[in-house]
Amino acid sequence: MHMLDVLCQQVVNGLALGMMYALLALGFTMVYGIIELINFSHFSVFMTGTFVGLVVLSLMGVAPGSASLTGLPLVGILIVLFAVTMAATGLLGVLIERICLRPVRHVSGTAPMITTIGVAFILINVVLLTWGPQAQRFPQLLPNWRWTIEGVEITFKQVVLFAVAIILMVSLSHLVKRTTLGKAMRATAQDADAARMMGIDVDRVVVLTFFLGSALAGAGSLFFGLYYGFTGYYIGYTTGLRAFTSAVLGGIGSIPGAVLGGLFIGLTQSLGGQFIGVKWTDVIIFSILIFVLVFRPNGLLGAQTPRRA
Amino acid sequence: MKRHSLMIGIALLFTAATLIGLSSQLAAQAKVVKIGLSLPLTGADADGADAILKGAQMAIAEINAKGGAGGYKFEALVFDSATPAAGQYDPAQAATNYKKFIGDSLVLAAVGPVMSGEGKAISPILSEADMATITPSSTNPDITDPKFQAQYRPKGKAVYFRTVTTDAYQGPNMANYLFHQQKIKTVYVLDDGGAFGVGIADSFQKRAGELGVKILGRDRLDPKEADYKTILTKIKGMNPDAIYYGGVMQAAAKLAPQAYEVVPKVIKAGSDGVYDLSWPKQSGKEAVEGWFCSQASPELVTAPKVESWVTKFKTEMKREATNYAITSYNAVYVIADSVERTAKAGKPLTRSSLRDAIQAANVTSIQGPIAFDANGDILTKTVSIYQWRDGEIKYVTVAPEK
Repeated sequence: MHMLDVLCQQVVNGLALGMMYALLALGFTMVYGIIELINFSHFSVFMTGTFVGLVVLSLMGVAPGSASLTGLPLVGILIVLFAVTMAATGLLGVLIERICLRPVRHVSGTAPMITTIGVAFILINVVLLTWGPQAQRFPQLLPNWRWTIEGVEITFKQVVLFAVAIILMVSLSHLVKRTTLGKAMRATAQDADAARMMGIDVDRVVVLTFFLGSALAGAGSLFFGLYYGFTGYYIGYTTGLRAFTSAVLGGIGSIPGAVLGGLFIGLTQSLGGQFIGVKWTDVIIFSILIFVLVFRPNGLLGAQTPRRA
Repeated sequence: MKRHSLMIGIALLFTAATLIGLSSQLAAQAKVVKIGLSLPLTGADADGADAILKGAQMAIAEINAKGGAGGYKFEALVFDSATPAAGQYDPAQAATNYKKFIGDSLVLAAVGPVMSGEGKAISPILSEADMATITPSSTNPDITDPKFQAQYRPKGKAVYFRTVTTDAYQGPNMANYLFHQQKIKTVYVLDDGGAFGVGIADSFQKRAGELGVKILGRDRLDPKEADYKTILTKIKGMNPDAIYYGGVMQAAAKLAPQAYEVVPKVIKAGSDGVYDLSWPKQSGKEAVEGWFCSQASPELVTAPKVESWVTKFKTEMKREATNYAITSYNAVYVIADSVERTAKAGKPLTRSSLRDAIQAANVTSIQGPIAFDANGDILTKTVSIYQWRDGEIKYVTVAPEK
């Protein structure tokens, strides 16, 4: 392989990685935008999503060792898989909000944030007790097709996952910008009290935000499972932390910022690994984060977000 | 007045109860030796740790069934040394566990730890308490090296004994094998950042360099990272003959499938860190196919003289045997033998006297003779090479020493 080919390959790898971070970062940023809460249980919702995906697949008769599918069965199974998993993680997010966070929402200080850390540990341990401590294989549903274009290998997996991520992001952007619900969300983000006075049911908006954010985490978790072919109870932390960093880098509360931040972190990770070494990944990522925050404390696109006074 | 006598009565009752409690404790103390077992029973290396635990448990059950040793019965005190936050072994947790062992006056010796990273954390603690541990699997040579005595055994005496040899042999001998038998000319070296992984990758790399194998690069995998495609793409660009991975299962579980995808044709080798029967389940049978791994012990599981042991282990413990289940089983026997010798010599059985007896051990076991040098290392230095074929670990050969 020539240097240029390797480089292009790393860009492709980095973009795929970035898409996954972006899907997760969206959940952080949406919840923060609405109730200014850093929701650490999001890490574990993402992790739980991979296991929901495993269950959904096994119910449809797809075991970890089974051969990949093609044609209509593949499309059908993918649609069911994404729909059911996203609905399940979305409901999980709603439950977390309803049971654990609503009672402490008006408690000032860090109580709600600490509660989310507690929820994260509960989910980790539930999965640990149910599936055991070892990495689980995730079925390799997508065929291993690959195309070489000018020396750069693009896999079918990457294409499918890119397409799914872009569809989800475009739908989300449409929902936030063009629908009544989106308007209610934006209004609540700007000023919850004023929104309430205008007749917006703030609790409902919060619940829906949790649903959407967690459903995107579910999509991110399937992205993870299908792309890397494994899962384990411990996967939430590293991926979640990077996604959280993406949200902060892009400007927490900003939806385009989360996507930009995710892609940026993904590319930093793959190009940094190529030129400097993968052992420095976190050093590089967090150095860039600090550098950006020094000059733009609200993140790359943070200034554009309407914030509470 | 009545109330007064009632109070005295209650006080007397409590005193009596405490005394009875104490005396029963003393009686128990006279009969039982607890063996501390701190192992990563959850997390990525759980399968290997489970085999090691069951090896020790089987030995304890056998010895107790024969009436114990030196008048003592044995009991295992088991703690998990992995944490969910680490997702694998956690040296800080291992240190906490060993402090608990030391806090329990009935624990006179330990079997473990499984990982060298844990070993580095707990060895100084053991040295302070003058208590011996016998590790059935941790191979980093620094822990027992007299050069690092101030760090790992500040009180001087060896407390860290091994029924396996060290990476001073395991890493270099794999380099010898790959160079002589697989004819590799170039290699890329990876480690997982753990004390064991870094150490064995260093010793492999040094020996490979001496043999004239070109080291194309060295990098470190974060075991909690999911994406190794970046580093594998970089490696693919360099087109090496082989990749050597020094480390344990958490990173290996992800490295194998991604390496299979990105660099399917390159020779891949690891250490005893990837001699883990759950690997095909974790990564897929096709992904681990062809991987070489090693053991810092002779091949035991398929040895004819161990056949009946393996059968017994399978029936009683309901799992497959591993070499390190055998080295763990033997570690318990070394402790029992040492207890017996101490009792026969009429010495009081303490942590210190038991340590001295273990130091002097010369036990015939199913892995051959076990005796230690002054630093605690076993005298037998055999390293074995294995290869994953069709979802199973197959013994290949004894690794060349040169």
